[in-house]
Amino acid sequence: MENHITLEIIEQASPPETPSLIKYISSNELEDFDEFDSEFPSPNSKESEETYNHQRKPSISVSMPLCYKETQLQSLNNNNNKNVSFSGENVIIRDDLASGIAMSEPPRQSKFKSQPMPKGVAFQQDGYQTGKANRNHNQPGIKMFRDKRFDSFKTWSGGGLERQLSILRGKEPIGNAQDGNNVTRSFDRALPVDRYFDALEGPELETLKSSEEIMLPHDKQWPFLLRFPVSSFGICLGVSSQAILWKTLATSPTTEFLHITPKINLILWYISAVLIATIFAVYILKLLFYFEAVRREYYHPIRVNFFFAPWIALLFLALGVPPSITKNLHQSLWYILMAPILFLELKIYGQWMSGGQRRLSKVANPSNHLSVVGNFVGALLGASMGLIEGPIFFFAVGLAHYTVLFVTLYQRLPTNATLPKELHPVFFLFVAAPSVASMAWAKIQGSFDYGSRIAYFIALFLYFSLAVRINFFRGFKFSLAWWAYTFPMTGAAIATIRYSNQVPNIVTKSLCIALALISTFTVMALLLSTILHAFVFRDLFPNDIAIAISDRKRKPHKHWLGFRYGSQDSKEIENYLKFVNTDDSSLDDSTPQPSSNDTDHNLPK
Amino acid sequence: MKINMECSQSNIELVIIEKNITNHNNQKSTSLMFTKRSLIRSITCILKKLHAGYFRISLSFGGQALLWKTLIDPTNDTSKSRHVLSMLPSSVFIVLWSMSLFILALLSLLYLLRCLFFFKMVKEEFLHHVGVNYLFAPWISWFLLLQSAPFIAPKTITYLILWWVFTVPVVVLDVKIYGQWFTKGKRSFLTTVANPTSHLSVIGNLIGAQAAAEMGWKESAVCLFSLGMVHYLVLFVTLYQRLSGGDRLPALLRPVFFLFFAAPGVASLAWESIVGDFDTLSKMLFFLSLFLFMSLVCRPALFKRSMRRFNVAWWAYSFPVTVLAMASTNYAQQVKGTVSHILMLILLALSVLVSFSLTLFTLLNSKMLLPDNDPIASILIV
Repeated sequence: MENHITLEIIEQASPPETPSLIKYISSNELEDFDEFDSEFPSPNSKESEETYNHQRKPSISVSMPLCYKETQLQSLNNNNNKNVSFSGENVIIRDDLASGIAMSEPPRQSKFKSQPMPKGVAFQQDGYQTGKANRNHNQPGIKMFRDKRFDSFKTWSGGGLERQLSILRGKEPIGNAQDGNNVTRSFDRALPVDRYFDALEGPELETLKSSEEIMLPHDKQWPFLLRFPVSSFGICLGVSSQAILWKTLATSPTTEFLHITPKINLILWYISAVLIATIFAVYILKLLFYFEAVRREYYHPIRVNFFFAPWIALLFLALGVPPSITKNLHQSLWYILMAPILFLELKIYGQWMSGGQRRLSKVANPSNHLSVVGNFVGALLGASMGLIEGPIFFFAVGLAHYTVLFVTLYQRLPTNATLPKELHPVFFLFVAAPSVASMAWAKIQGSFDYGSRIAYFIALFLYFSLAVRINFFRGFKFSLAWWAYTFPMTGAAIATIRYSNQVPNIVTKSLCIALALISTFTVMALLLSTILHAFVFRDLFPNDIAIAISDRKRKPHKHWLGFRYGSQDSKEIENYLKFVNTDDSSLDDSTPQPSSNDTDHNLPK
Repeated sequence: MKINMECSQSNIELVIIEKNITNHNNQKSTSLMFTKRSLIRSITCILKKLHAGYFRISLSFGGQALLWKTLIDPTNDTSKSRHVLSMLPSSVFIVLWSMSLFILALLSLLYLLRCLFFFKMVKEEFLHHVGVNYLFAPWISWFLLLQSAPFIAPKTITYLILWWVFTVPVVVLDVKIYGQWFTKGKRSFLTTVANPTSHLSVIGNLIGAQAAAEMGWKESAVCLFSLGMVHYLVLFVTLYQRLSGGDRLPALLRPVFFLFFAAPGVASLAWESIVGDFDTLSKMLFFLSLFLFMSLVCRPALFKRSMRRFNVAWWAYSFPVTVLAMASTNYAQQVKGTVSHILMLILLALSVLVSFSLTLFTLLNSKMLLPDNDPIASILIV
């Protein structure tokens, strides 16, 4: 197999002449590798030279067994060949490393013991590699094969069920049982938040950096549930806040002159109720079937805030309930709705206070406002239901944490990795908290007093300072999360209506109408874009890259072309080891010297 | 003759002395000299190890005394539970108060001696980012005892004089420490020195404000209150941000995280004393304190490392819970209802339980109270 040196280059910017270069180097390296043979047989060393990203791009066919750097280290540590690679499919077998870099096919011409492919832990395969891969092992079929790639994200029960089915069908590849363990083990630990910062970029941390790869196929469309992000709950927020706006317009004394019919509120309320129910149902399905994906969203520094969105949407629904349906809601409903928010808060604010890697100075971003605004919405609902103590409780907690968040975001600390450099619709979330807080305080106190006015004016100021910079809100890729950014505008409009109830004059009334029009217009425009993307472009739910980032960084290809050893490698190892948990104790042993030289050759490209 | 000493050096000395004078006739006087010397040695040993953190004990006892005074005092809370609690005999309370006074007096005396003889050590404490905050602890304890004193009524001249005696050092320390936060160089920036024990400076101001309000001196009360609150705001934000490089707290000192909810609790009590009843701001501060308490209690892993061996930092658990119990008592008085009274009972029980168990632990582990390798002392003593 040493003779087959057709390599598969897996790199974005792989220049056409690279294959030969690699070939050349690899044959040279053979001699140098002799000293490392002691730990593993020479065929491995050859593979070690060709380390590839597991992100497959269109590439040259492969017949050389490949192996990953980690695998190399793994074998170093375990002194066995279990992690050896495979044939051309760039699949790497890893026996217990958690990253889920897994592979599924036994090597085509491999002479070494290979880890049989873990059923659940398939790696992404390139489109036309699939066929080759299929040839090599008893894959039941394309469908089964493709499912396997997503099995790593499936809930254990889902994956196990499939395995049972395949066993029954008699098509189970060897070593499945082991791999099952590997799967669960690989996803037992949380991705450190640093990984998200390193691998993703962009204002919503959605775009993959060019040096990173993802664990799921890049080119295939993933199952719908995997593509359904938690930020879809933003739609519920946007629509239900509109329902509240039209209810307020219809029932407020100052806007009586407009003669808004309450039917608009009714229709919007029904639409939002249906929408919330649907999105809840879909997300619960995702929770049941792809728990791992949900977990990764929870660990994402921006998406975690959207876990508050469903509960806030339910609160909005309760706030916007049309008078024709019911005038008074039962008080226990408030306790039921606030309980999840309380639990989430205890967890997340506690993380801010005591979490090492998720401390606020590092992860603060405008989406954190979603965590804080839930308190104020709950206070508003409770106060309008007639409760007294509960709303004050949530108002106090929200106010304290809002102060912290506000100061942190305004500081734009250099240690803060998540703040978007350019202006982005997410900044509108700044307006949300003060406007809802002003309404909540007005309801608690009974009238729109000075405290409410202070909060309201702060909200208005922030709104205008963003609105005049509207030019800078250009050039962003549409995403479903944008719906979440419309509710602050609606909130500001509603707060203005309440303020004008207290201080009715021509300025406030015109402000009411202007803000209400702007918010309605924005929602309409967003609705149009959504429909456009859904039916015309068909990319409303693109592959959710953010949840599929790998566990460790890949160094870019060009590095290993330079014969740089030493510090480069030890840094690489450090980087690599930094993201490996202590339960991978075997890897920790890999720090000693011989490995550092190997890894140079094993540098992924 | 074997004298059990904690300091290793003293053993050798005594042995030598003993050898030299074994053949003398005046053994009686030598034995007297031994006991005197051994006493001096033991006291010196204690003085060397007694840092300001030991005032946590007096803080806890003072807090308990104030709590029971609040419960025994006549109140317009007509609920049954409160009625039952107020039936506690006042003699028990007087015993508790005397015990607190004794402990505080002893600690103060020892610390005074430490200042006199080992001033250098005290100075090092002052320069340390954790130790400096505990310099507020004695004054807070004295304030607590003053407020809970059974025989000094708030409007008397004794109260006034004592109030001044305790407030002046607090204000002086304030000026020094707060001024340092925003004027002095790199090492004293708030971002580098902020840690949960900094709440003690805030608590000092707030307790002074409460004591002043009890006297009827509303203006000074509001002055101290605003001082405390504005620095609390800054501190709260800074600690929540957890800027890297700051907040270097050893794992053994994790119990001081409880001070996070002590500060708003004391603020709630102080505001209530100023305004006269438990109004919305007091409620909000109480709720914030309650939320932070729940948040910390849900994270036992944070305290695991510090709970392995008994050390005096464990006493940091007691005072904050006591303050929260006091605030809940006042809250239940204002908001008559079953839920608030149940909350009050739970917190009261917790506070008594914590204080009692800590006392028990200390008595059982009295040797470890002044350990040779106290984590704080080892930081302070270079």
